[in-house]
Amino acid sequence: MRDDPHVVALVTRASGGDQDAWYELVDRYAPLVYTICTRYRLSNHDIEDVGQNVWLLLVEQLGKLREPAALPGWLATTTARECLRVVTAASKAERLGTGLDDSVLFVDDTAIDEEILVAERNAALRAAFAELPPRCQQLLSMLISDPPHSYAEIHAKLGIPVGSIGPQRARCLERMRRSSALAALGEGEEKIDIRGGEPGA
Amino acid sequence: MRNDWDDDRLLGALSQALKARQAVPSWFIETGKNAFAWHNIDAELAQLTYDSNEDQREAAVVRSETASIRALTFTSAHLTLELEVTGNSLLGQLLPAREGQLEIHTGAGDITTTEVDEIGCFSVDPIPESPFRLRCHTADGTDVLTGWITI
Repeated sequence: MRDDPHVVALVTRASGGDQDAWYELVDRYAPLVYTICTRYRLSNHDIEDVGQNVWLLLVEQLGKLREPAALPGWLATTTARECLRVVTAASKAERLGTGLDDSVLFVDDTAIDEEILVAERNAALRAAFAELPPRCQQLLSMLISDPPHSYAEIHAKLGIPVGSIGPQRARCLERMRRSSALAALGEGEEKIDIRGGEPGA
Repeated sequence: MRNDWDDDRLLGALSQALKARQAVPSWFIETGKNAFAWHNIDAELAQLTYDSNEDQREAAVVRSETASIRALTFTSAHLTLELEVTGNSLLGQLLPAREGQLEIHTGAGDITTTEVDEIGCFSVDPIPESPFRLRCHTADGTDVLTGWITI
């Protein structure tokens, strides 16, 4: 994974005391931290506990992060370690022995590595989406909503002629493809397939 | 660049990316944002140097039943904090013994204060349910902050 200049800037700014940069970092990586917590099947109370610890630890590490590209990996391993601590403490309280039950063994390093790659790709896609003009964002949002909107509904809501929806969709996606946010995705990521990435899902 | 992705694949990936963000509860995001209040705290950090739970964790591999008191030690260059859980309260002592004030900080940003007596003893009662940290200001001007504690 290459250094995403945007993430490098966010880390530098946050470590210099810029609160908005910190908020953006949290927003960008919260899905990664949260997903790992759900893999350990933690309760909401425990997820909050883990989340709190992870972010607080990161606040203390901000100035020491030499390579911001390592941030997702640091967040993932720190989250996994905190989850394991909570699971172990809970099982100990219930006198269930060592606490190494199936749900813990299920979360192996490979799964964590994959979460990191997926999280980076998702963050880049959201950033690229956020850079699109509002009209493109509206159109793409309607196309991927669940259930999807029909072209007639899109025409009624956005005023785009039905015959232009297809070409506009293509133009908006081409814009996304060319955005700097997606360009930051590294080549190591290429071989990772989209999970459940069926067309138009 | 994602030149190799066709439109349907890119749109599918975008859909997943937006859903992953929407799945995160707002309280989770808030917790993360609030953590920034701890940025650049001007206190000496005390590291966890002993945790009875760590000993037990290893012991638990051979013995599932363990019944010892939870004890923690935090150490900084100028001060050591020894903590012990007794019932619902947390008893502590500063070493070397000295008088001062102890702040209990929760992750949500709440702060409560308690006195440290002349032989360096204090108690935290009740023990916060969420992670907390202790900040100690002593009469001689030492300002020490522990790492996060979960009892």
